[in-house]
Amino acid sequence: MPDRLGTGPTLFRQISRRLIVFTLLFALLDAGIVVLTYARQPESLAHELLSLEAERLAALPDPARATASPGLAHWSAQLLTPHTADDARLIDWTRRERIPGGYRISGVRELADGTAPRWVLLRFDAIGVRPFLPVIRDELFEHVALPLVPLTLMLLAFNIISVRRVLAPLRRAEWEVDALDPDNMALRLTVPGEPREVDALVRAVNRALARLEAAVTTLRDFTAHAAHELRTPLAIMQLSLDRLGDTPVKAELQADTDQMTRLVGQMLDLAQADALVIADAESVDLAAIGRAVVGQLAPRAFALQRELVFSDAGGAIVRGHAEAIFRIYRNLIDNALAHARPDAVGDAAILVSAGPGPQLAVRDHGPGIAAADAAHLFERFWRKNRNASAGAGLGLGIVKRLVDAHGAEITVETPAGGGALFRVSFPPA
Amino acid sequence: MRLLLVEDNPRLAGLIRDGLRGQGFAVDGCTGLADAEAALQVNSYDLLLLDLGLPDGDGLALLRAIRRRRDTTPILVITARGGLDDRVSGLDAGADDYLVKPFQIPELAARCRALLRRPGAALGTVLIGGNVALDTAAREVLVAGCTVETPPREVDLLEHLLRRAGHVVAKASLENALYAMDAEVTPNALEAVVSRLRKRLAATAANVTIRTVHGVGYALFTPADGDHA
Repeated sequence: MPDRLGTGPTLFRQISRRLIVFTLLFALLDAGIVVLTYARQPESLAHELLSLEAERLAALPDPARATASPGLAHWSAQLLTPHTADDARLIDWTRRERIPGGYRISGVRELADGTAPRWVLLRFDAIGVRPFLPVIRDELFEHVALPLVPLTLMLLAFNIISVRRVLAPLRRAEWEVDALDPDNMALRLTVPGEPREVDALVRAVNRALARLEAAVTTLRDFTAHAAHELRTPLAIMQLSLDRLGDTPVKAELQADTDQMTRLVGQMLDLAQADALVIADAESVDLAAIGRAVVGQLAPRAFALQRELVFSDAGGAIVRGHAEAIFRIYRNLIDNALAHARPDAVGDAAILVSAGPGPQLAVRDHGPGIAAADAAHLFERFWRKNRNASAGAGLGLGIVKRLVDAHGAEITVETPAGGGALFRVSFPPA
Repeated sequence: MRLLLVEDNPRLAGLIRDGLRGQGFAVDGCTGLADAEAALQVNSYDLLLLDLGLPDGDGLALLRAIRRRRDTTPILVITARGGLDDRVSGLDAGADDYLVKPFQIPELAARCRALLRRPGAALGTVLIGGNVALDTAAREVLVAGCTVETPPREVDLLEHLLRRAGHVVAKASLENALYAMDAEVTPNALEAVVSRLRKRLAATAANVTIRTVHGVGYALFTPADGDHA
């Protein structure tokens, strides 16, 4: 199946792409809100900047010898150690004064560096935006990246799982559609129940299949009914013909009637073969059926100056439909009788065989099958030479269909010594 | 020999009736299931010829009804149904034979005779094929009116082949008929009997031929079989 997979993006990719774009937009919005919030509350920006400087000092091995962060002027830090009792504490405070071009910021922070409580008095001038960038960076990280990144990753993971689960019924429906067999029109897709969208699609496909089945059945039934209805007038024709005296005209009419009888029979056979579904097949002996067919057809073969020979190589037990296998043999022998060379009498017997193992074969000594014709051989209404043969070209089409219904294989070989050998191999019983 | 023909198509019924009368049968006709039931109540028939697709129902229903009341009258189904399972379901329903339309009168008459002969096999009958006649009671073979001395086993063989003239009789069924159950039958024994009978008939200018269908059995053909075998 060349177009089994489409080239469009998968649903997972579509959802993921939208999810990422949405997350980025949301991050931008979030960042905008953070920036706007601080622009409207410059004092909290000063507060945060002071805290950031204090954290930086606390992380240093010797806070007393620290120097200014970039962009800060008139920077000074003074460590404060309380002289009084252990429980004496200093209060954190921040002070902001406007100076030309920026702010003078001062305040006290506790140094949380794990040692005894210490405090630092910081004072510096922040000119322009540059000194506040670390604060903004930290705030963006804390308020935008920290909540959004894990959330996005979780959504992507959820996306994988949910898409796979939601689409599982769709995938099953796909397998079932691929497994649909035109020979078994009764097959339907399993209705998943949920999600409702897939359920609706599957139900719609099933309704379409039901309409198709009805159309195909109507066509088949029409063929079968037409052929069936033709048999009674044919019987009348045949019996009326029998009342005529023997004349060349009667012989011609008889030949025409025979041909029509055959055609009607084949149309009916074909319609039935198309509808044949082999379920819980019985064990049948190809040799017994072969013997019965050869017994039935031998008188006609003798009348045509031909001979049928049956041989049983043993072990030809298969699971199948006895009457259908009977017709496989009969149509193959009919075909052999039609194609045997008219001059070859006697040693050019048609060899019918069962076995060894689950197979049957019919071999004639006719002109054989040209490689170019082998492809058309089993097509319905195909004849090598439309005017030369009396048949309608349905016999081998019927055989093919009956063989397929058994899960068997039919092959055509050109055996040593010429002619054609049709072999039907059944699956082991 | 009285036959009941159940066929709804009047023209076909007429042709069958005329044809069978020409072959020496007495034929009553009816066109539906109800008529057929009524006719069976009044008369006793030796054979029933039954079409399956009838205006007032399926012939198989009548077939089952007849068999349910343990009536063993031979029934030959004549039908347009030649489907994959139709023959089997017809025989399962209790038909003795099954003939698909269209057919020819000699074929129908032969099948009727075969069915009629079944219960009366003990009665003496003269079987005829070409210029060969066999008196089944006297075990006597005549070719062109002259008695031909024939050993019993060859008479048995000829009888079976004549009964199914124009058809192949399976080797196994001939062996069963010719030899006792426990007798040792060598693979070539039947072949030898066939060969001797062939020579005997050939020596007397009989116009029947016994042909071998390798791997299957033997068939006896009369000059008439050549036309539409």
